[in-house]
Amino acid sequence: MDGKEITKNSEIYGRYLENTHRLGRIVTIASLVLLLGAPFLIGLYLGVMPDLSAAAKAFLAVGLVYLVSGIAEYLIYVPMLGTGGSYLAFITGNLINMKVPCAINARDIVGVKSGTPENEIISTLSIATSSLVTILVLAAGVILMIPLQPILQSETIRPAFDNVVPALFGAMACKYYRMNRPVALIVLAFMTLLFSLVPSLIGSMSMMVIPSGALAIGLAFLLWKKNQKD
Amino acid sequence: MEILSKLNSPVLYLICGGIIVFVAAVCLIFAVRAYKAGKALGIDVSKMRRVITASATFAVLPSIGILLGVIALSGSLGTPWPWLRLSVIGALHYETQVAQAASEAVGAGQLSAATMTTQAFTTIALLMSFCIIWGMVLMLINGKRYSTRLALPAAPKKDGSSVKKKSLKDFGDPAMTAMFIGLVSAYIAGYIGTIVSGEGFFTFKGSALSLAVAAVSAMAMAVFIRIKEKNGADWVDSFSVAGSMLVAMIAAIFLGKMM
Repeated sequence: MDGKEITKNSEIYGRYLENTHRLGRIVTIASLVLLLGAPFLIGLYLGVMPDLSAAAKAFLAVGLVYLVSGIAEYLIYVPMLGTGGSYLAFITGNLINMKVPCAINARDIVGVKSGTPENEIISTLSIATSSLVTILVLAAGVILMIPLQPILQSETIRPAFDNVVPALFGAMACKYYRMNRPVALIVLAFMTLLFSLVPSLIGSMSMMVIPSGALAIGLAFLLWKKNQKD
Repeated sequence: MEILSKLNSPVLYLICGGIIVFVAAVCLIFAVRAYKAGKALGIDVSKMRRVITASATFAVLPSIGILLGVIALSGSLGTPWPWLRLSVIGALHYETQVAQAASEAVGAGQLSAATMTTQAFTTIALLMSFCIIWGMVLMLINGKRYSTRLALPAAPKKDGSSVKKKSLKDFGDPAMTAMFIGLVSAYIAGYIGTIVSGEGFFTFKGSALSLAVAAVSAMAMAVFIRIKEKNGADWVDSFSVAGSMLVAMIAAIFLGKMM
């Protein structure tokens, strides 16, 4: 790639990012209005509005935890998902159990580096596609809810769908532990000890991603520094 | 039950379906823009198509799992609202938990159609929406600054420390891999911790099903990786995660009976 082409590409990419932020903000505002407005719209139809004081009390009881985890998710996942991917992922949800592994998997399949324009494009494509698939599967499921319900909820098949997340993380562990075995081993041992000594933490696995991730990054940094010196 | 017929009325389907269509359109717009920008930037089209195929196959099984969340919640909240929540912004592990907690907090007790009232429903619906908006809010107010800071090369300094910082940028990929290892490890360790102390401190009587399913999935993935590496079959990548999950989920049916 010559200098002229590089300049042209960085112009295209700069414009793309700028427009992605603009579009991302517009659709985020629209989504927030729609999502927070929907309960009131439904209330208008049902003839009874949400009880705001009860909602405020309940928020203090259950919502504050999600405020903390929301901030942590934002800080951790934006670098992983890129700009377009982040706007989309936070609108469409299901980050840990789908969007993040899906985007990381896509990135590795085509071998792009983090922080590059390729990563930005691939991540956005991956999250948009997986979101559309979820929307389609759920729409089909809702249409076919009555015939599907007995099959999906049958006692025989139930363990399969109760274990979607372990099935996902087992496959991902095999794929990623190979990339940095020492870090994987230490983090897994430490977290296992932690969960065994404080079993009440088992119910908060999504929150425990924060110390686990921090430890993994810290160890990876030490290893990386050591390799730089060597 | 009268409450459920209200919560399953065509008007609610229209409101929730309309929002879902809007979000689907947003996804489509972002995908088309990214694809066009990728072409303009000279990214190999076949690579982008592979990403689309891999992501689509990757998403099918977790989506069916999410559908079960819709079914689980539809008994107490009707179908349209859980359909909206789990199609847009929601998360499988979050919705049931918050719906239950919100139901208790607004005085409806256990989440069930028997105790549900229209006011409890609208209040629970508002809480479910409000508690999970923070990622969107942060993207709105700080997303540009944060992602720009992450993308910018280190500013040169008089003492020449920019060279050091620039090399720190090379840590980006190992950091992402490490973060992901951390994420996966938190869950796998949680499954081991369940066996060790899930049914009492160090009693080793907890359920081993989740760990066994994860192990089967990991073994299936190892086979896929071997096929790919031995035969240079790159196409395997597009289906390896979905394939491993399918194998493990089928195994879960049999393991569930044994454990």
